[in-house]
Parts: sequence; C-alpha cells; structure tokens
Amino acid sequence: MHEIRRILLTGGGTAGHVNPALAIGSALDRGDARFLFVGVRGRVEEQVVPHEGMAIKYVRASGFPGTLSPALLPFLADLSIGILQSAWILCRFRPDVIVGTGGYVSAPIVMAAALLRKLRLSRARVFIHEQNAVPGKLNQLMGRFADRVLVTFPETLSFFPANGALVGYPLRRSIAALGREEALQKIDFAIPEQRKVVLAFGGSQGSRTINRALVDALRHLLPFRDRLFIIHGTGLMKNRQYDAAADTEKRLRSLYNEEERAQIESFYLHRPYFYNIENLYSASDLVIARAGAGSLNEISAMGLPALIIPKSNLPGNHQVMNARSMERAGGAEILYEQIAPASGRLEEWLDGKVLAEAIVSLALDDERLERLRSRSRDFLNQDALGRIARIIRSEETEPAGVPLPTPGPLSEERLPTNRELLALLEKAERSGPGRYSPKTVVGRPQDLEFFKNRASALLIHPSWPERNLGVKLLGLLHAREKAPALVTLLKEKNPASFLKRCFGGDFEQVGFIRRNVVIALVRIDVIDAEIEAALLEALWDRYYEVRAEAARAAAHFGGRLQSRSRFVRVLLQNLGDRNLDASTAAAEALGVIGGERDALPDLLKLWDARFWKMRAAALTGILRMVERGEVSDRAALAAEIPKFILTSTDFRPHFEIKSIYRRLMESLSGTGGEGLQP
Amino acid sequence: MIYFLGKYLHPHYEIFSLLRLVDYISARAIGAALTAIILTLALTPLVIRHLHRRGLVDQRRNTGVASAFDKAGTPAMGGAVVVGCVLVSCLLWCNMSNRFLLAVLAGMIWFGALGLADDIAKTRARSGDGGMSEARKLLLQAVFAAGLVIFLASPWTPLPAGQAGAFYVPFHKTPLFTSLWMYLPIVFFFVVAVGNAVNITDGMDGLAIVPSVFAIGVLGLFGYFLGNAIWARYLNYPFYPGAGELAVFASAFAGAGIGFLWFNAYPAQIFMGDTGSMAIGGSIAVLSVMLKQEVLFLILGGLFVAEAATSQIQDKIGIRWLGRRIFMRAPLHHAMQHKGLAETKVVIRLWIVSGILALAALATLKLR
Repeated sequence: MHEIRRILLTGGGTAGHVNPALAIGSALDRGDARFLFVGVRGRVEEQVVPHEGMAIKYVRASGFPGTLSPALLPFLADLSIGILQSAWILCRFRPDVIVGTGGYVSAPIVMAAALLRKLRLSRARVFIHEQNAVPGKLNQLMGRFADRVLVTFPETLSFFPANGALVGYPLRRSIAALGREEALQKIDFAIPEQRKVVLAFGGSQGSRTINRALVDALRHLLPFRDRLFIIHGTGLMKNRQYDAAADTEKRLRSLYNEEERAQIESFYLHRPYFYNIENLYSASDLVIARAGAGSLNEISAMGLPALIIPKSNLPGNHQVMNARSMERAGGAEILYEQIAPASGRLEEWLDGKVLAEAIVSLALDDERLERLRSRSRDFLNQDALGRIARIIRSEETEPAGVPLPTPGPLSEERLPTNRELLALLEKAERSGPGRYSPKTVVGRPQDLEFFKNRASALLIHPSWPERNLGVKLLGLLHAREKAPALVTLLKEKNPASFLKRCFGGDFEQVGFIRRNVVIALVRIDVIDAEIEAALLEALWDRYYEVRAEAARAAAHFGGRLQSRSRFVRVLLQNLGDRNLDASTAAAEALGVIGGERDALPDLLKLWDARFWKMRAAALTGILRMVERGEVSDRAALAAEIPKFILTSTDFRPHFEIKSIYRRLMESLSGTGGEGLQP
Repeated sequence: MIYFLGKYLHPHYEIFSLLRLVDYISARAIGAALTAIILTLALTPLVIRHLHRRGLVDQRRNTGVASAFDKAGTPAMGGAVVVGCVLVSCLLWCNMSNRFLLAVLAGMIWFGALGLADDIAKTRARSGDGGMSEARKLLLQAVFAAGLVIFLASPWTPLPAGQAGAFYVPFHKTPLFTSLWMYLPIVFFFVVAVGNAVNITDGMDGLAIVPSVFAIGVLGLFGYFLGNAIWARYLNYPFYPGAGELAVFASAFAGAGIGFLWFNAYPAQIFMGDTGSMAIGGSIAVLSVMLKQEVLFLILGGLFVAEAATSQIQDKIGIRWLGRRIFMRAPLHHAMQHKGLAETKVVIRLWIVSGILALAALATLKLR
C-alpha cells in the first residue's frame, strides 16, 4: 500500500488519450492529492486540461515515424529535448505516481522517469494504460520502462508478458443509462413511436466511409421507413479533402429527388454533432460506429448492440483488432470497409446496400439484438477505474476477481501476419495443386473474411512490395469480390518516377504487381467483360511477364471468353514477340482458344523457329488443337508436321539410380510402410 | 621442402646435382602442377565417400531451375580438397619465404576459411539460405583487404620502393596514380567483388573451375614475366624480384583445379562449395593486387564480371527496386539455360568464352 499524494498524468494528442488520463486521475483522488498534467502544446490537452482545473506543463514530442527514414532525425531531436524538459519537471514536482495513457506525448516523461530512477533521483512508479488492442511501436517500447502496463483488451497482454494487467477501459464519467422514456424527453427532436432507433456516427470528426455508405443505404432502407429511425452524426471534419457535413448534404441531393428526400426525412436525421450523446445512446437500439477503443467501451458501458465498421490501414491495424475483440466476445458484428475502385483509383468504400442489409437484419431482429446487448455489456470491464486505482495503490497485485472475457479459439496473438499467411497458402497450394482451397488453410469463415479484408487493405499501401503482397494474397484466398479492385491495379497506368523509368521501370503498379494480378485473376477463376478487357490489354503490356501470364490466362479461361476472336488476333501478333517467354506462351494459348482457320497456319509456320522452345510451343499448341477436335483434315496436318526441326539444345537428364530409388520408396510406402512418408 | 632441400644439397654433393633443377621456376612449376593433380585425383574419391557418410551434402537453394533439384545430395566441400592440395604442393615446391607467395596463400586461406564457415553453417541449417550473414562476410573480407594494403605499405612489402600505392591499367605503361589512400578503397572493392563473382559463377557443374584455372594461369604467367628482369624490361613492366614464385603457385592451383574437374565434370560427384569459390576468388584477387593487374580482371575474368553484374542488377535494381525482372533469368548461365540450352552446352560455351578472354588478357602483356 503506497501513499499517493502527487500524481503526474501524461498522454494526449487526441481526446482518446486525454480522457482516460483524466479518468484515472479522478479515480486516484481521495481529496488530498496534487495533480500535474504533462502534454504537448497545440493539441487537445491544451484546452481540455485547464478546463478541468488541472495544472498543465508542456514538453516537446513528436510522432514516431515507425521505420528508418529521414523523419527519424527530428523525432530523435524532439525526444531528446522532451526528455530533458521532462527530467526538469519530474525533479521539481517529485511525483509518487506517473500515469501515461499513450500517444507519443507520454514518451518523454516515461523515459525521463526511467532514467531518473536509474540514477536514484526519483522514486516515482510508472503506469501505462493502453487503450487499443494493438499497442503502437512507441508504447511497446514504453512498456519496458513501466512498472505495470494496464491494458483494455485481453489480446494486448501478449505484448507485455512481464508486466501487463488486464483492467479494461477507464471511462471518464460513468455514463448512466437513462430509461428510454426519460432519454426521449431530453432529446431536442422527436422520435416517432414504435421505431427501432439506429445511432450512426464515426467519432467526433466523422468518417467518410460511414457517412457515404449510410446515405447510399437510405434507398434500400426506404421500404422499412415506418419501422426504423436513423440518427446520423456526420462529424465535425472540415478540411480540404473532406467536409463531412457539406459532402453528406451534397450526396443526399444528388442521389435522391425531392419526393424521396421528403420520405427520407420521416425516418432519417443527420447533424454534424450531437451534444449529450448519452441521451441518444439511451434511446437507441443499435449503434453503428468506428472501432476506436473509446467508442467501443462507451457502447459496451451502455450495453448496446453494435455494428462496427473498423477503419483499416491504421498502425498495427488496431481498429480491426479492437473490433474483432468485441465481435468475438459476442457484443458486436463487424462490417469491413472495402478497398474498391472509385473513379479509376482504389479507395476505402462501403457498399450502401450491404450496410442497409446489415442494418435491417440486425435492427429488426429482436432476438439477435437481445443476444448482442447482453454480451456487449459483459465485454467492458465495468469496474475498470476501480481496478486501476487498486493496482496503482498496490492493493491488488494480480488482477483477479472479475471474470475476464476469454479469447476465442483462434487466439489473436497467434494470428499469422500477411507474410506468414502467404507462406502457409503457397505451401498448401504447392502440396496439392488440384485440390487447393483457402478454406483448408483458414478454418473459420469470419477469419477468411478478415484475412481478405486485411489483404485488400494492402492494395493502397504506398510501397509496392506491400501492394504486391496484397495481390498475391487475394489470389490465393480466392477473393472473388476483390476482382474489380485487382483489375483497377492492372489498368491504372500512373508512370513511375523519372529515375526508375531511366533504369527500366514503367508504372507505379510495377511489373510484378501486374503479373501477379493476372495470376490472381486466374486463381480466383472469375471472368466478365471488365476482366476480359483488362486481359486483352495485358497481352499488350510493356512488361514481358505480364504478356506471358495474360496468354496463359487466356488459355485458362478458354471457352468462357466472350471476345475469343480478338484474343486470337492479339495472340497471333504476340507469336512474333521478341521475348521468348511471351511468344511461347502465346503459341500454347492459341492451341486452346485458336481455331483451325485463324491460328493453325501461323503455328505451322513456326517449324523452323530459331529456338527449340518456340518450336516445341507451336507443337504443343497444335497438339491441343488436335485433342480438342478442332482439326478437320488430320491427314494433311500429319503431312505438315514432319517439317518441324526436332533437334534441340536441351534435354532432361535421367538418373537411373534415382528413378529406381523412387520406385522402391513408392512401393514401400504403398504397402503399408508406415513412417516412411515425410 | 623440395626447394629448400635442393638448395641445401646440390651445391655440396655431386650425387644430388639433379636437384639444381629447383633453381628453375619452370621445373618447379611443372612439379607443383603434377603433384597437385595426383594428390587431388587420389584424395577426392576418399573425401567424397567420407562426406557422404557424414551426411555433409549440398543444401541447394531453390533456384526454380528444374535440373538444380536433382543435384541435392551432392557433397559440397570439394573446395577444401583443392585448397589442401595446393597447400601441400606449395609446401613441397615453393620457396616458402617468398612474401609474394605468402600474401597469396594468406588470401586463399582467409577466404577459404570464410567459405568453409559458410558451408558448415548452411549444412547445419539444412538450407541453402541459412549461411553466414551478408554483413559479417563483407566485414571479414574488408578486414583482409585492409590487412593486405597495410602489408604492401609496410617495410616487409615484397614490392620495390614506390610501388605499393601504384595503380596500373592495361594498355598503359605508367601508373594512373600512386597514392595509398586512393588505392585502399580500390583494393577493398576489388577483393570483395572478385570473391563474390566466383561464388556466383559457381552454379553449374564445372562452370567455375575452368575459367578460374585460365585466370590463375594467366596471372601466373604475368608473375613469371614480372619477376624476371629481362622479360620485365623487354615488356616494359616494373621488375618485381620474387614475383616469379607466383607462377609455381599458379601451376599448383591449375593442377589441383584440373584434378577437381575430373570429379566435378557434368554430372558432378562433388561441388567446390563456398569454400572453393571463395578461396579461388581470394587467390585471384590477391594475385592481381600483388601484380598490379586489378583492372585486367575486367578482361581476364570477364565471365565472372558478367555473371556477377547480371545477378546484382537483376536482384538489386530489378527485383528489389523496380519490381520487375530485367533479364529473363540471372545470373548469365541461368539466362542461357532458360533460353533452352542444356547445362552441358552452357558450361562448354562459357569455357570457350573464358578461354578467349584469357588469351585477350595475355595479349595485353605486349600491347602497351
């Protein structure tokens, strides 16, 4: 049991970090404690903290760039200055306890405290609270300097095996759930009776994906207008890329005519921001939200069923991980945003129809709502603040007592990374080429969905090897619905940098990406007019591997191609391709899709091609044609074929002893020779 | 040993007069070559069997070329045999107090040991990719390069005064510059590049050893001419007293190489491994540095240069940076194979190329 009189709180940048710090502070206060908040100038804390009547001091700090890059230098400079400033503050204030709630803001204080403690100049104990399921890089590092790391989600414990403690999320004010009637009275607009109330918002700033999808969804929700009421907080964001309120208004006007808008107004209300959101919570039956730790925990505190739309491509993919944690606890359902083509390039996007279906199926199903509602309440550790206070006061060494949400069957800490997943899938495909299916590698359908979405998020990654990884994964995961996104990559022709073009580069979507898109489309095995057009274009690609793979793709889709004759025409031209891989692939493909009239004569002309591989490819093509029964005059063809020059500069060695060995091993393992198989 | 024995015995005893032959470099060179051939021919089969029994066989990288797959399970420490036989032959036939020779032997052993460590690490890891880290290899090569330049600049240098920092180019009589500080980075880059070039070339049966024998042979001839006052004056080279001993080393190496080829010829029973390729690279590098023929390697080792260049361009510029292949396959020998040439044909054609390059390099002796 420690006497705690002087408490230093740090953390900030966004309200999501400041509020937990203030919450923990108030929980530790027994009336006689002195507080100091340390933050960064110009961020949220500058307004919020003085407003609370708390003293605040500022240090230098900036965000960790994450990788080795030139941005590392200013970061290190800021950090060094920040640590010196922090050391000075610590020596003056002499806190008993330091509580950091993350964000880069708390880094200098935590490091300075660790330093001073090494020098025996400070006795302050350091606690860090991590709000998200996946801690940032800097917070992972900070965790080593802290006495305890208090985490919100059970999945996070694996990042801090030595000193982690599961406590839950410190909600600032206990959001008291009002009775529905009482709440309805406090709201400044009327909600008609007998409606299911859906509250949708993307945080205080708003989310473009949710806003746009919800407006699109209204058309599909119209038929249910007398059973639903939708409250939409569009958010306060207003910058050059996106003005939440104006964009939503514009979209409403462009999508719906006067009459439809009147109908919509009867069940849909949008405003940039709602004050006293707890009243709305109390009146709602379903919440649609982003997966920030604060939002999820508020929803859970209110015991509300939620439809979560996590934002992808955040550090550590933490919103998706937060959402999965709540989903697996049974308190929410997830709708992933898609990476899909929008006006020629890929963007995050959510189909309005999909959203509408999800809303209707959830909001109008009382049984499901009830199930989610009870689990949602269990998800949050309702006594988070009490437990945090007990741990900091050393009244409780090991978190126990309150039942913890147990992780599901597929533990998050063992979730394969994208690269590991690729290795797994490739291995499975190699071992059984004909029988391969991603389902054999990824068991749970929800996980397959998750992996597909995680992979498709890579398609808009700034570095090409990552995008390439995404392309490969989508192909191996047989992500049918992502085919349009892949085609967009293939058709997008933004030139690469000048320097790269000097060395033989061509487009931003580099040769490997385009090649792998074609391979992925074959693996996904879906063809439509759009894909056909892209494949035709790929036969003309600047990079030879794309041309070769496109020819193989043409052979793969074969009879399913609508514009067969155009493929044949381009492939005939590719027979003269200067690149051997591209020309041989064209010859073999012609055997599958070419006819006796249009392709056979050209293949026969290759009898004296310089490279034997070209002659062999022509023969392969002709063989396929004959096997398809495409050749009517077999005798005439038989007279032509002997012209082919059959000498070759290559052969395959045959090692007698190795083939005997193989036969022996096969017969041994065939007759019940157990343990001989690898 | 025979050299010292002869030196000691023949002036005093009439009966050993035949041993005066040791005064002739040519005679010792022939003796060294024959000794090395006989030793390798006799020892290699024993080593092959021993390696098979110990399970120390090659762990191939998956190169994607079908034929490479069938070669898994071939022992890969042939290089150690070559190095050992060259050493024994040199001990017998060379003047072991010659500092030109000592420098070259040091290079061969240092790089050979580096390769051996890598080979052992790969066998342990049971994978062709589990070897020593790139950075550590580079560091150890750099240490040797620095040591070599310090040796050249030290009082113990075998080079005549003023030659340590001299940098010669073919077809040009005077040094381009004479400055140790400018010379040091060149030596470093050269030593590292040659060592790895041979390593990359060693990808097909017999492909690395024959061009290596050509290259070392030509360098041995250079050593013979530069170490001979009359020839050096006639060819307008600076006279390096003692460099002739390198000719004996070169012929020992050629002998061991031919003995190795006996077993390494397609289909190979043994590979040289990193031990061999690094030792060869180290020897060529130090020979060139000692004889001031670094730039000549562009011609003499043109094959190695092309192999290394294609491989590096493909990997570093193409695959890592541009996201495309620049050559259909790399290095050169895989590109030829991919176009439809059998391994044997690729190897023999590249032998021919390296033979022509060796002759061209020899021509620079007089063309200055």
